[in-house]
Amino acid sequence: MPVPILKQGDILIASIQAALSDQELVQLRDELADRVGRFRSRGAIIDVTALDVLDSFATRMLRGIAQTARLRGAQTVVVGIQPEVAFSMVQLGLTLDGVATALDLEEGVALLRRRSSGGEHVG
Amino acid sequence: MTESRRPGSEIAHPRDMEVNEQEILRRKEFLDFREEDAAALRRLNTIAQRDADPMIDDLYRHFLSFHETKAFFQDPKVLERVKRLQKEYFLRLTDGEYGADYVANRLRVGTVHERINLAPKWYLGAYSYYLRGVASRLQEAFADEPKQALAAFLSLMKLVFLDIGLAVDTYIDARESTMRKQQEAIRELSTPVLQIRDRLLLIPIIGVIDTLRARLITESLLRSIRANRAKVVVMDITGVATIDSKVANHLLQTVTAARLMGALVIVSGLSSEVAQSLVVLGIDLDKLNTVGDLQGGIEEAERLLGYRLVKTSDVRGAPEAE
Amino acid sequence: MSAEIRVPIERETDIVTARQKGRELAAVNGFASTDQTLIATAISEIARNIVVYAQRGEIVLAALESRGRRGIMVVGRDDGPGISDLELAMRDGYSTTRSLGMGLPGAKRLMDEFDLSSVLGKGTTITMKKWVR
Repeated sequence: MPVPILKQGDILIASIQAALSDQELVQLRDELADRVGRFRSRGAIIDVTALDVLDSFATRMLRGIAQTARLRGAQTVVVGIQPEVAFSMVQLGLTLDGVATALDLEEGVALLRRRSSGGEHVG
Repeated sequence: MTESRRPGSEIAHPRDMEVNEQEILRRKEFLDFREEDAAALRRLNTIAQRDADPMIDDLYRHFLSFHETKAFFQDPKVLERVKRLQKEYFLRLTDGEYGADYVANRLRVGTVHERINLAPKWYLGAYSYYLRGVASRLQEAFADEPKQALAAFLSLMKLVFLDIGLAVDTYIDARESTMRKQQEAIRELSTPVLQIRDRLLLIPIIGVIDTLRARLITESLLRSIRANRAKVVVMDITGVATIDSKVANHLLQTVTAARLMGALVIVSGLSSEVAQSLVVLGIDLDKLNTVGDLQGGIEEAERLLGYRLVKTSDVRGAPEAE
Repeated sequence: MSAEIRVPIERETDIVTARQKGRELAAVNGFASTDQTLIATAISEIARNIVVYAQRGEIVLAALESRGRRGIMVVGRDDGPGISDLELAMRDGYSTTRSLGMGLPGAKRLMDEFDLSSVLGKGTTITMKKWVR
């Protein structure tokens, strides 16, 4: 499995280390969906810190993963989008609308905890 | 114009403006510079060699009699060196070879002049002085064939104008490059990102927002979000000169990019009139968290971050409120 | 103009190769980090189009120097079916969020110069340039 998926309580964490192919992203989506179901995870964090480019394809796939996870009852948070990557994405017109985002793993976990406890505050 | 070198200017080799073969040919065509001209100039080479030194001396006497140009030759060593280079430069005019090599040599002139702050007027004036000197010597040399003298002079004039064209173009390019760098520096200074609380950033935006500045603001903000681990950003636009649809779109982009990094942007200082006009223009403001003024924006940000302001006088027996 | 770098595009993994080489070339030629990312992303978009629509083609990268500025040129070439409606493809609403979106208006925004020529049944060539600021 190209992307290691860790389980932390009721959260799954997938850290993408390098650009993934079509197939690998589909694999990731299916793996996450499977584990969310198996462990009844509430949240899934996809860490893209290591990615230096997020093009339209990758963005579409991330949205697809989030959708699949939602169908299984888990909220997805994409974390680690780097400043330059965020900049490129908006220049390209990519928004990741509908997918929660956070600065990093720590914030991603905090966000999921907050959402599950129904808090309004950001911090 | 007393200093010969602008502080902070590069000491490295000037970057040459690229002028490809096509471009050179076109310029020569426009000047009607042909093989016959090149041949005519080559024939002048012996006269040029013979008269080079006295001509240069004369030219530099002229420079030294004007304080503006004298300023460039304070150092006698510099003067000697420049005179030598000048001689080489003038001798190349009657070389007979006016291809890529020749052009490359000429391109450097403009860059150097820009670097040392020698304005085109002095350069052009010097060329005029030189040409007048050449004209009288040609008259002497071709005393029996005045038509030949004129023909030779016209050939030289074409080449000289090629030179001037190249030098002035590189001067302009170098100037524009310097100005771009200065503008860049100014822009950097004019977009501060301030951390006013833990996880809270404030960007006061003042003045005109063009595409380039918007980009700088966004890049700066995104880097700050990472560095400060900011969760909320208050972007105050009270001082923005004009907010039209273009500027609004820039702001939306900044907000979207910040969100991708997990930060919420509150736009403060968007007056209701401006907001209305933007809505009329079709800008989707739903995505924006807006607050009327800066203070309101900061309060909202603090609230979201879980801060609560308590005045010490309202709290009995309590230690200093946070 | 200096040497060109040709990257054949036949499968997905070539997309990553092309953009990495693009980033390297940009870095060597003095582009700031953010611009390197923009260039790499633009390369990614057009390289993917080649894979998806033409199955094979190439990306050619070259350093540029003109009027004292340095830059990079990216050419994406394929012998694919061509783009049937250029205007539609370049319209901004025809976005990358839809599965048929080709990401071309986006790539254009990322670069300074953008030229697209396509002949139905023969192929498509996209030429993009970016200059160091």
